Amino acid sequence: MSGLLVALRKDLLLQWRGKAQIVAIFAFGATALLLFSFAIGPDSLALRQHAAGFLWLGLLLASTLSLAESFEREVEEQALEGLLLLPASARALYYGKALANWAQLALLGAALVPVMVVLYDAGTLRLLSLLGVILLGTAGLSAPGTLYAAMTAQARARQTLLPLLLFPLVVPVLLAAVKATSLLILGDPMGQLAPWATLLAAFDVIHWALGGLFFGRVVED
Amino acid sequence: MARVAHNRTPHALVAAGVALLLAGSYWGLLKAPREIFMGDVQRIMYVHVPTAWNAMLALSFAFVCAVCFLFTNAWKWDNRLEAAMEMGVVLSLLLCTQGAIWAKPTWGVWWDWDPRLTTTAVMVFAFGGILALRAFVDDPVKRAVWSAVACIVAFADVPIVYFSVKWWNSLHQAQSSPQTVSRAFHWPLRINAFGILFLWTGLVALRARVAALRLQSEIHPPVPEQKSAPAGAPVPGGA
Amino acid sequence: MSGVVEGGWEFVIAAYAVTAAVLGAYAVSVFVRHSAEKSRAAGGEKGP
Repeated sequence: MSGLLVALRKDLLLQWRGKAQIVAIFAFGATALLLFSFAIGPDSLALRQHAAGFLWLGLLLASTLSLAESFEREVEEQALEGLLLLPASARALYYGKALANWAQLALLGAALVPVMVVLYDAGTLRLLSLLGVILLGTAGLSAPGTLYAAMTAQARARQTLLPLLLFPLVVPVLLAAVKATSLLILGDPMGQLAPWATLLAAFDVIHWALGGLFFGRVVED
Repeated sequence: MARVAHNRTPHALVAAGVALLLAGSYWGLLKAPREIFMGDVQRIMYVHVPTAWNAMLALSFAFVCAVCFLFTNAWKWDNRLEAAMEMGVVLSLLLCTQGAIWAKPTWGVWWDWDPRLTTTAVMVFAFGGILALRAFVDDPVKRAVWSAVACIVAFADVPIVYFSVKWWNSLHQAQSSPQTVSRAFHWPLRINAFGILFLWTGLVALRARVAALRLQSEIHPPVPEQKSAPAGAPVPGGA
Repeated sequence: MSGVVEGGWEFVIAAYAVTAAVLGAYAVSVFVRHSAEKSRAAGGEKGP
């Protein structure tokens, strides 16, 4: 447990020191949301109906930048081998990094919500539920994303490989998160939010477990 | 390193598979009775359903190879993994194409987001991505471990993808996919299923040998010809 | 959709043709790659 906290603290510190990068990634996400609206056209009804999809697509695209960057430092300074020599196990390392990535992605998601509200006239009063969906969804991106970022950081063509590997895997997250967010924005007369949130939670549990199981093998020499 | 096998079993399997496919297709195309509602379009099922079964089987075998590799670290499982994933992607791609050809006369659109076919499309991208990963990793050990891990994670994801797409789709579509297996005449279906089974088993066995040979040359590159080398110079493992 | 689907033989032929083409092309590629690798491995072993 202490190994986990140490790893988490290290990664959060790294993120805080590199906060200019996070701001840039947010700008990327906001630009993506703007471009989506140009792709649809100034039809405010259509924009509002698809707002949830745009938010999560923008977040997904931004996540590839954020996740790839989370291992850049380690690979650049060849710190990965050094970290593995520490008493903290690979599992603690994985969960520390995955948690830090989760925090960053959730922050990104929350920051993009006002952009969505302004551009698509798509808001909701159920802010706590929206936060919950963002937390569940970004957890689903962070777990497999951290595992694959560790692999691709050491491979060639890493910028292409990470999205190539990650996107098919997180299709359920996209479907469920978009559906849940859409219900919050457009209304949920039949109370369908809970099942979609459960699907997200199930996905998260499975992939956080798998990531911890395999991370050791993935980074060992 | 173990010698790469040289028997002709894969060739025999492929030949048997082709023969069965020809027989089953002939039966399905010309001999089987016309279906009441679907008409002759129904005959597509005699290749579509066997392809579906075998695509799933090939990718399941890939999953088994991945698990075996992580437990044993034996190269033969990595070779088989590469072969099985490639075969699985080819069969899945074929499945999506057949599905589109079936959907056009039946539903009027090339793609109707059927959960099974949509999941198959996601699998094409997921396992295709792993094949791409293999192409960009130079270290054979890392390549093997990473593709085994990625294969297991992707395979574990398949039921989740299927379930989420099914649910997502059911909210939009009143019609469900036609239950055609019960209406199909069984024999052409079974013959084609075994035909594709023998075919892909033989091809995977052969493709695994290709992977083994490439791996051998990667780990023990052939010594360049030297005029002054002694007669007993060591040579890479048997072919 | 109800009623009887008429005709559609061109789709049936297309499906069978695509199946034969894809499986055939892949089989050929495997055989070609196999003989290429075999001959390369055999060639690399020829002593000086």
